[in-house]
Amino acid sequence: MPALALHLIKIGFIALLYLFLWAVGRGIAGHLRAESARSEAPTVAVTESPAQAGLTFRVTGPLILGRSPDADVVLDDQFASDFHARLAFQGGEVRLHDLGSTNGTFVNGERLAAPLTLARGDRVQIGQTVLELR
Amino acid sequence: MSRTTEAVLVSLAAALAGAGAVIASLAAGEAPTYDALVAPAVFLAAFGGLLLAVRRWAGRAARSLVPLAAWLTALGWVEVARIDRDLGRLQQWWLLVGAALAAGTLYLLRRRGVGVLRRYRYLFLVTGLGLLLLPLLPAGWPVRGVTLNGSRLWVRLQAGDLSLSFQPGEAAKLLIVAFLASYLADRHRALTVMPRRLGPVGLPEPRQLLPVLLAFGVSFAVLIYQRDLGASLLLFVVFAAMLYAATGRLAYPAAALVLLAGGGLAAYQYFDHVRARVEAWLHPFADFAGTGYQVAQGLFALGSGSLTGTGIGAGHPQLIPAAATDFVFAAIAEELGLAGGLAVVAAYALLAAAGFGIALRSRDPFRKLLAGGLTLTLVVQTVLIVGGVLRLLPLTGITLPFMSYGGSSLLANLVLISLLARVSHEEGS
Repeated sequence: MPALALHLIKIGFIALLYLFLWAVGRGIAGHLRAESARSEAPTVAVTESPAQAGLTFRVTGPLILGRSPDADVVLDDQFASDFHARLAFQGGEVRLHDLGSTNGTFVNGERLAAPLTLARGDRVQIGQTVLELR
Repeated sequence: MSRTTEAVLVSLAAALAGAGAVIASLAAGEAPTYDALVAPAVFLAAFGGLLLAVRRWAGRAARSLVPLAAWLTALGWVEVARIDRDLGRLQQWWLLVGAALAAGTLYLLRRRGVGVLRRYRYLFLVTGLGLLLLPLLPAGWPVRGVTLNGSRLWVRLQAGDLSLSFQPGEAAKLLIVAFLASYLADRHRALTVMPRRLGPVGLPEPRQLLPVLLAFGVSFAVLIYQRDLGASLLLFVVFAAMLYAATGRLAYPAAALVLLAGGGLAAYQYFDHVRARVEAWLHPFADFAGTGYQVAQGLFALGSGSLTGTGIGAGHPQLIPAAATDFVFAAIAEELGLAGGLAVVAAYALLAAAGFGIALRSRDPFRKLLAGGLTLTLVVQTVLIVGGVLRLLPLTGITLPFMSYGGSSLLANLVLISLLARVSHEEGS
């Protein structure tokens, strides 16, 4: 076998090694990017409220909003139910569920009938409290 | 990565094994042997089978794990088989057994998932520690320890004429990581609170520190009685890192570093085998024919490899002691050069990224710590041995995961991959 041919085969072999890693690396990078986008929990700000205006919190996981001290986000609002609504952050989306509240949950002025995916800037009204997804 | 890409990559890894065997024969001026045909078939059977098992019992697993393991094993096999044909053939058997064992692990966990492992944590701890200390059994027993190259880390099982040797430390590392993940998942809160103060340093309740000291004690015992620098360091570093991952408290790695420095200095003072390693690290050419020989030969191999290597089969890696096991990285860097060496490092970096990605994605603390801990053992092992070969660290005899010749090591690491796959399946991806 001539030396040049062996040299070319060697370079080809190394190139194949890198080609393989490139293909795997692309997959992993895509995965990690999706994950980091997903893990940046969005912020919700209280814009109008009898007592809590200006408060912000991050939707890192499922959160129960309500007047009960056992809720994850305790609303100081007499028109809110004990367990009024649930915010969940999953797959990069914020979902809002009404938990059968007495006075209802409104998104941009419309009463929530079924769980809804929120977009940035949406205004959520619970009792006298207005929340905005940032 | 699509399913098709995954399957294509696994086949490509099998083809690389065959191509490597052909190139080695051509470089030696011989006709290719049957090994060049058998190898791709074995790799396809082992990793193809593992891939099918993953799809059946861990369908949503990250797709990068099996291809990366196949790539590393294939490249390692090419070099091992080129150094010693018989070792290469043996390694193929280990590969088949290992893939079957990994598939079997997935089968056993198919219903209840990795969470079931938490139930057996104290069994794992006792078995793991027992396995670590097994090589200390005296000669003459049916199961006995064997001293090889100054380290007592082998066990030989003798029944009549049949004898089987294995390194129990490889299985022990999996069991101990599983124990730690389970233990820390329950205790991380108690370990995070630091109610006591010692000057500016916060301290957790003393009894919470007992396991930390126990780990240090076991690592040190392994170092003293088995003279196994690698396993000792691996255990200790993985343990400290998992404590940090579980609590987020820098105090633990800081304390571990102090213990490590103190233990290292004491070991250097009192143990000849540790001092010899450090001397060979700092001055490999001072005692070239003696203690420095292996490290020095490794450096010559790296040097003669230059940028793209001598080509597979055209170098002299067999001049390095333990070229097929601990020094397989030097052998690859000699025959495939800096380019090949960097590819190997990149492959481990990708495996680390995939493994830590799985840990990051996991919501359940046990799964998070299990994935993180398993990935850490691969990473720490790779850093220790590649660092040792490159003379960045003192040489600690430990296998390069997937690439070194060795049945125990390959078996344990394939099971490790199946556990990672299962965790990523359960946490969705």
